[in-house]
Amino acid sequence: MSGQELPGTERRGDDGPVLRKGVGVPASGWFDPRGRALGGFAFAVNRVTGLGLVVYLYLHLAVLSMLLRGESAWSGFLRLATNWLFLSLDVLLIFGILYHGLNGIRVALVGSGVVPDRQKALWWALGVIGTITLAFSALHIYGSR
Amino acid sequence: MTRSAPRASRDAPHVLIVGGGGTGGALAHDLTLRGIRVTLVERGEFTSGTTGRHHGLLHSGARYAVNDRESAIECIEENAILRAICPGSFEENDGLFVALTDEDMEYYADFVEGCKGCGIPIEELTAQEALRMEPLLNPELKAAVRVPDATMDAMRMPLRFFASAKHGGATLYNFMEVLDLVVADGAVTGATVRDQVTGSEGDLHADLVVNATGPWSEKIARMAGVDVPISPSPGVMLALHGRLCNMVINRMHRSGDGDIVVPQRALSVVGTSSWTVEDPDELDVPEDHVARMRVEGAKLIPAVAQAGFRAAWSAARPLIGAMEADSGRELSRTFKTIDHAEDGVEGFVTITGGKATTLRGMAELCADVISRKLGVDRPSTTRTVTTLPHTAFYAENERRLA
Amino acid sequence: MSEADHPNGSSPPTRMFRVYRYKRGDPGWRFDAFEVPVGARTTVLEALRWIQLHRDRTLALRYSCLHASCGTCGMQVNGREVLACVTLADTLGSTITVEPLANIPVLTDLVVDMRQLFERFPDEIGTVRMSDALPQASPPDGIETYERFEDCIECGLCLSACPVSATSDAYVGPAALAAAQRLLEEPRGVDPERILDWADDPNGAWQCHAAFECTEACPSNVRPAERIMALRGRLAGGLRTVATVMPG
Repeated sequence: MSGQELPGTERRGDDGPVLRKGVGVPASGWFDPRGRALGGFAFAVNRVTGLGLVVYLYLHLAVLSMLLRGESAWSGFLRLATNWLFLSLDVLLIFGILYHGLNGIRVALVGSGVVPDRQKALWWALGVIGTITLAFSALHIYGSR
Repeated sequence: MTRSAPRASRDAPHVLIVGGGGTGGALAHDLTLRGIRVTLVERGEFTSGTTGRHHGLLHSGARYAVNDRESAIECIEENAILRAICPGSFEENDGLFVALTDEDMEYYADFVEGCKGCGIPIEELTAQEALRMEPLLNPELKAAVRVPDATMDAMRMPLRFFASAKHGGATLYNFMEVLDLVVADGAVTGATVRDQVTGSEGDLHADLVVNATGPWSEKIARMAGVDVPISPSPGVMLALHGRLCNMVINRMHRSGDGDIVVPQRALSVVGTSSWTVEDPDELDVPEDHVARMRVEGAKLIPAVAQAGFRAAWSAARPLIGAMEADSGRELSRTFKTIDHAEDGVEGFVTITGGKATTLRGMAELCADVISRKLGVDRPSTTRTVTTLPHTAFYAENERRLA
Repeated sequence: MSEADHPNGSSPPTRMFRVYRYKRGDPGWRFDAFEVPVGARTTVLEALRWIQLHRDRTLALRYSCLHASCGTCGMQVNGREVLACVTLADTLGSTITVEPLANIPVLTDLVVDMRQLFERFPDEIGTVRMSDALPQASPPDGIETYERFEDCIECGLCLSACPVSATSDAYVGPAALAAAQRLLEEPRGVDPERILDWADDPNGAWQCHAAFECTEACPSNVRPAERIMALRGRLAGGLRTVATVMPG
């Protein structure tokens, strides 16, 4: 170093605060929808549905394990499974599967360089397909009661 | 070409440069190569004064070939040197001087003769030839002359000098504002600075202080009790969406407003105008000047009239000369080193005037004066040392320096 | 702010600016509030410089070209990444919150340490490229093709907007990957295999999650997200479509 330095000028830039988008929790930056465009929103919902599906998988296995406890336990579960709230959760599950699956197809097509410049159009198009499928499924689920 | 001089020894004289524009950066580079210890302080980001704001023209000097031959010759020499020592920092597409009216054509002969007299290589073109090179030119043009203009990145090209100086051992501080100069017994011995990063204040001492603050030269000079004849002379520029030309397009006439269109990436910059102010920190962007840019620029390239607006801004030229001039265009565009020992103040030198194209040449002459004053008997080597890429300014490690 | 903005010499309308402040050595950051006169054409940068000149000289502010060419004035304005020099203050509501870019350590106030951006780039980047403007033009003798600077102005808005960069400092980020893809599109003497090796990394091209926030934020039409996808297509071994050769 030539010349002298003013105290405190050494290591300029080290230890400075880092702004992160997010909700105050470390590593939540991806979750913050403020200031985001379509792509960022799609990504965030993808992650939420992904986490939701993992939680569902655990619940599903827990439910299936009731089969090991005999017929009366399973029948009890079936009574629960046909009430409105439970069916609504089923619809929510279908939404999660559809969103995660269809958006996943979008990400695969876009992310491998096949159609990188059509990501917004693809989101809307698959969204239409998904919405129709969801509506159809919901009618079927509620109608089966 | 990376390192070309060993770092300065602790016994080497120490120079404090005030002002982090192109001139300050080039001076830091030159002095560092001569083994002088350099500290540079800039109150904002480097090139945030006038340097970063100009339209990016690498002058061929043709604009000055008739009225200001000294400037023209300086420009064409530095033009060639900069292309060699800053490779990759220019859009090297040459430029055109375009004659639109009979009046322009009256200037044509003087223009061609002036360029030849200053050693500026030119090629005379017919209107058709010019339109093949630049299809969006005004189809009514009468004639054109090709000149070795180019476009530079107004910030990144000077940043290379900062990068070279830094890796040569200079200490460069941005966000450090000079509050006052330290003057004792008729000599400047340093500066009182505030570090904007920490908020703290303190003194920096040096064997010699250089005032390289461009249009702010007067303000710094007064801290030493001397005057420098600088008229800050702003001009307006207008950036438009669309790359409407690849070559720099100039109007062939004596200087006037809105007579240049400089391509920059995907923008076209139309400039400029001229007036004088007292305070280079208070720059207006007069709406009538901006409108004039559109009108005059559209005479050269009709598509300018409808192109989308990106930005309009002002930048202050540091013109040498007293404040009597009204428009600033009458003052010379050459540069000057002032050793204030002539004014009775030792240890203080001002380098000012000039233009972006001549940054290296200005620094060489100033560094010669400084070296002599400090008893350092080494010539400048900046003519032939390739500067580091601008990204090297931010690099911590050596691998970027190739 | 010229007189032309204020008819009849009346007092100009003002906006409240909340500006992020931090000096090295401070225990933390804070917001300072300033009432700033704003005209129809006042940019956020002009307003911040007004604060610097008339209210608080210790405000550190990064800018240079004033026309979106140098990329130094990147910051978050009301939570969105912009270049302050081309962002009109008038359209932003009565309170304007100004913060530095995200995901890069703050040096002071609105200035971030740009070394963190440049460190992520590959060793080679192209600065000058072929010009694609006015393809019908014939360059003069001695000039083979017209050239121009690359679009990327190294502003860091993409890195600030990227949700992956919000949670991973190891990710090289959109600007670096887009620069690498540009060298694949136009090699300029660089060996493509070296670029592909550099990008083929868990923290390289594969860490992108296709949020496309970078392309949204980019002020210079680099389209980094599309370029990252094209780069991945190339890495995946030739799922080549016309999309892997980017136009413009």
